[in-house]
Amino acid sequence: MVVDADEEVFEMNNGCICCTVRGDLIRILSGLMKRADKLDAIIVETTGLADPAPVAQTFFVDQDVADRTKLDAIVTVADAVHLSSQLTDHHEAEEQIAFADVVLLNKIDLVDENGLEVVKQRIKKINPFAKIINTTKCGVPLNEVLNLDAFSLKRVLEVEPDFLKSDHDHEHDDDVTSLSFVSDTPLDMEKFQDWFTKLLQTKGQDILRTKGILDFTGESDRYVFQGVHMLMDASPMGKWPKGKERSSRLVFIGRNLETMNLKEGFENCKSA
Amino acid sequence: MKADLNNFPQLNKTKFENRGKEFRLGIPVINAVTVGNSIAVGFGDGTVRIFSSGKSSEPIKAHKGIVLCMAKDGDHILTGGDDGRFLRISLDGNINEISNFGTRWVDHVTSKNGSVVCTSGNIVYLWMPNKKEPKLLEHDSTIGGVAFDSKGRKLAVSRYGGVTLWKKDYSNKWTSSDLIWKGSHNKVIFSPDDRYLVTSMQENQLHFWRLKDKIDSAMSGYGAKVKSFAFVGDSKYLATSGANDAVCWPFDGDGPVGREPICLPYVGKQLVTFVESFPNENAILTGLSDGSVYLSEIEKANNTIIIRSFTEFEVSAIAVTDDCSHLLIGDMGGNILWTSIWDEEKN
Repeated sequence: MVVDADEEVFEMNNGCICCTVRGDLIRILSGLMKRADKLDAIIVETTGLADPAPVAQTFFVDQDVADRTKLDAIVTVADAVHLSSQLTDHHEAEEQIAFADVVLLNKIDLVDENGLEVVKQRIKKINPFAKIINTTKCGVPLNEVLNLDAFSLKRVLEVEPDFLKSDHDHEHDDDVTSLSFVSDTPLDMEKFQDWFTKLLQTKGQDILRTKGILDFTGESDRYVFQGVHMLMDASPMGKWPKGKERSSRLVFIGRNLETMNLKEGFENCKSA
Repeated sequence: MKADLNNFPQLNKTKFENRGKEFRLGIPVINAVTVGNSIAVGFGDGTVRIFSSGKSSEPIKAHKGIVLCMAKDGDHILTGGDDGRFLRISLDGNINEISNFGTRWVDHVTSKNGSVVCTSGNIVYLWMPNKKEPKLLEHDSTIGGVAFDSKGRKLAVSRYGGVTLWKKDYSNKWTSSDLIWKGSHNKVIFSPDDRYLVTSMQENQLHFWRLKDKIDSAMSGYGAKVKSFAFVGDSKYLATSGANDAVCWPFDGDGPVGREPICLPYVGKQLVTFVESFPNENAILTGLSDGSVYLSEIEKANNTIIIRSFTEFEVSAIAVTDDCSHLLIGDMGGNILWTSIWDEEKN
């Protein structure tokens, strides 16, 4: 079944300026959920110039949609030939890479090995989480793009961000970048919450996605969180695995990250 | 140990269930409208059924997907579906396709005095009486709801950012003015006395405008979206869903500004999902998220009787026949109760 709709971004009247949702999506999902025959999955195909944040936020902000559906994953198709120029010309392209759980790097038959590597590095610099799958004509097994459960906290534990070895790649100055922090010193929960809450309140518009596994002083459980802009899902997720070092890791994907004193803020959260 | 039946959940069948007819159709009930002494029900498989006293109801295959919206049009009903069809259906099941929008949904329908309206996307399609071609009224965003006033001279169209109020002058020309309030507005209704316009919003609140002086205000404090609301009597109260209580705002005198609503509580802390006024009385029928339905007098605390016990599925439709002899209750699990209201009546 195919449904047509016009893209409509709604601002929510909840005092949060980055809290936008897609009205067309709410309307259509509400309708689909009333159907007698149950659907296996709903695939939302946006235009190439759509901002993915309101689409993702709809699944958390609208109570009816949140109660009856689950955002499975964001899959972005990137053109291996043209991605570099698209990233330069359209900020939407950067955002679509930044929000992706899976990037289908398509048309790889049309670039050489070196060109492919350059594009991959550029994607990884924007988004170290996304699983990059090389494709021609988007040929990919369905289980690589459906039923990924990418927004569950459990999945955050399983994903090892693919950090870049070289931190200072200034070949391209993309607006959207990622920064990651690791600490073997446990964090102070109160200090962290203070810092993080303020950070999201003031800079949430520029912080696109965050994920983290945190080791708090005096807590036996791992704390896991993941967020889209200011929306955050966080929970203790069981004991640390035996024989594995406890450590905190935190990743930000966003714009102007270098202006947020993230390193300093994170360092200040370490228990004295 | 014995269950205390005075408390939730009500396990015993009510007298209305015992003497009425129950249908377990397993298809979500989307909407119901009264046409005389019959009640038309739209379902989540695209079918419509007509319930009336002494007649069995056969499914009418109206739409392919679901019956998104439904309204009374004289002695017919109008329906819109996610198959893009806008239909006029007679009570004996004759279907007339007024228009077809293909893969675009028909989101809202209404009619008044022979004028017929449907909306698809951001456009209102308005058929004036005896006109073959519709007049198109375009808006900046997708339409959340439409309503005529009691005379059919005003058409309120809710949307993102407020309501567009269309007025027909005596040369039958339509002109519009804007009622602005930030946010996305969904269902819209006029008060029966045409003095007020009320919308429900994407946020958990309602908004109203007093039309004579354009004074407007929010009605907030709800725990959930307010999907169902109805004026009681001649606009004395606005009964609303979206909370554990049925919240009834006073709209007599100068309206609800600065006044407290009357909150009718129900046992079990369920969410009120549907409200309908009870004709000719200062009373409402309240449907809850567990399927139970109550009849409550607004100004008399404790004067509530149970009409239907719980079914586990949220109440999605309540309608009373014009002669006030029968009522119909439907829920999202596809359970329907059709029952006489007064003790001496037979089904």
